[in-house]
Amino acid sequence: MDTSHLAEHAGTAGTLFASVFVVATLSMRTMIPLRVFALLLNFVLIGTAIPNHNYLVILVQTVALFLNSYRLHQMLQLVRDVKKSVNSDLSMEWLKPFMTERKCKAGEVLFYKDEKADSMSYIVSGRFRLVESGIELPVGAIVGELGMLSPSKVRTQTLECVEDGLILSVSYDQVEQLYVQNPAFGFYFLRLASARLFQNIGTLEQRLAQQTALAAAKSA
Amino acid sequence: MSDDGLLSSLRYLFADFLDEEDQTPPFLPDGLPEGAAPIVSDGIHLLMDYQGASYARLYVERLTRFVGKQGIDAATFGDIARLMANRMAYEDAIRIAQLKLAQYHDSGGAVRSTDIEKFRFDELVDALPAVAAEPVLMVLDKLGWAHRRVSIPFSTASKWGIRRLKVEAWLRRWRMFSIRYLQERAWVERWLHMINRCLDKQPQSVPAIVESATMVQGFGDAYRQGLAAWHAIIDGLAKPTFDDVLPLTDLAGAIEEARAAAMPDPRQAALKRTIAQIRARAQGAGANAAAG
Repeated sequence: MDTSHLAEHAGTAGTLFASVFVVATLSMRTMIPLRVFALLLNFVLIGTAIPNHNYLVILVQTVALFLNSYRLHQMLQLVRDVKKSVNSDLSMEWLKPFMTERKCKAGEVLFYKDEKADSMSYIVSGRFRLVESGIELPVGAIVGELGMLSPSKVRTQTLECVEDGLILSVSYDQVEQLYVQNPAFGFYFLRLASARLFQNIGTLEQRLAQQTALAAAKSA
Repeated sequence: MSDDGLLSSLRYLFADFLDEEDQTPPFLPDGLPEGAAPIVSDGIHLLMDYQGASYARLYVERLTRFVGKQGIDAATFGDIARLMANRMAYEDAIRIAQLKLAQYHDSGGAVRSTDIEKFRFDELVDALPAVAAEPVLMVLDKLGWAHRRVSIPFSTASKWGIRRLKVEAWLRRWRMFSIRYLQERAWVERWLHMINRCLDKQPQSVPAIVESATMVQGFGDAYRQGLAAWHAIIDGLAKPTFDDVLPLTDLAGAIEEARAAAMPDPRQAALKRTIAQIRARAQGAGANAAAG
């Protein structure tokens, strides 16, 4: 029995079905649903291409399927990690997959005070010092995350590498993209930044209380 | 969408290619010291011509750091404004093409000449966007050609030469993404940082730090040697003084002495020797003072 006409009809129906998915994918406003629909589209296109033995489409869609799966996994992981992070220690480990490595040599300056800020960094190894205040930053510290939200977007101190090390950097543009692509990320980033601000206020209040107590003790 | 809306969207999308960047120059910052306005205005116009409005705005933002700053008088502010504008308009192959074209246009097409300039391969490639330049540099390094010199003609003598200059000048769109721009940005920021630190530690030496920018000029060998000498002086004398590692009481005098020893020598032997002598003298004087 000749089944070629069946394959042809299946192909036409599949193409129509795939077109609906293309429109649905393109109409998604945020990244996670977009990836989910893109995955469905990949499946549909592979299914459509099999009866016609269109191996090129099968190959391209399989590659796209893996790519979409990987990106979706990254996004979901990010949301999970952000949630975990906000509930725990305010670290920004969850941003690591989106960061780029930079090796630093002793004496190298990563950025200067008053310079326009365009990225934030995570210290992986080595020793780094804020020149103006003389504060040494520990491994695991994040530098420059609040610069993104400040109106002037300038560095408030100079950061110098004291001992060879490694940092991970992510540009504000990238963080903004993540923010726009993923509402959950945006919401948690705001909570995280606010929490850090409150933490800073707490530290300042503590210092003020100590100084006031010291002054009171001296005058007594 | 109306035709106008569509066209303006397309224009925005292809602004880089259509040369339609915002051409409104930035305003002069408030509170400029007396006599500084014409210098800053010249700087703004130079950088508008060099790169565009956003680059001129960066210049104004950098200058604003010194407006009303204690220890910066009108003359020093004027020097910072002038030297920073000159440094920000650094000379790369694109700039030389721009200047050559400007000379041709200003003369109404009467001046037709050819200048041949020598560049190193890496110097030419550094002017390209980092994404494109890095692989090329890697290949040049592997071949051992990165430091090989090449003569480039900048000519307004023929139609083809002018066309080529226009293409080279057009590359300024991508200048801000180039490796060279990143290096220049870091240099300007370091210079400004040193001025700031000098204000805190040795205000009387600020003019010497400001003036040190004149060491870095031009292109090719002169530029590289000037840059290396500047870093040697800053790393050997200024920074250790600001870090309280070197007890140098007259930084301005030391910089002047070191600059006099900076010769057009790629190894900078005389300069390094002089810096070592100044350091030894300062440490000796510091030890004597500590001993009593």
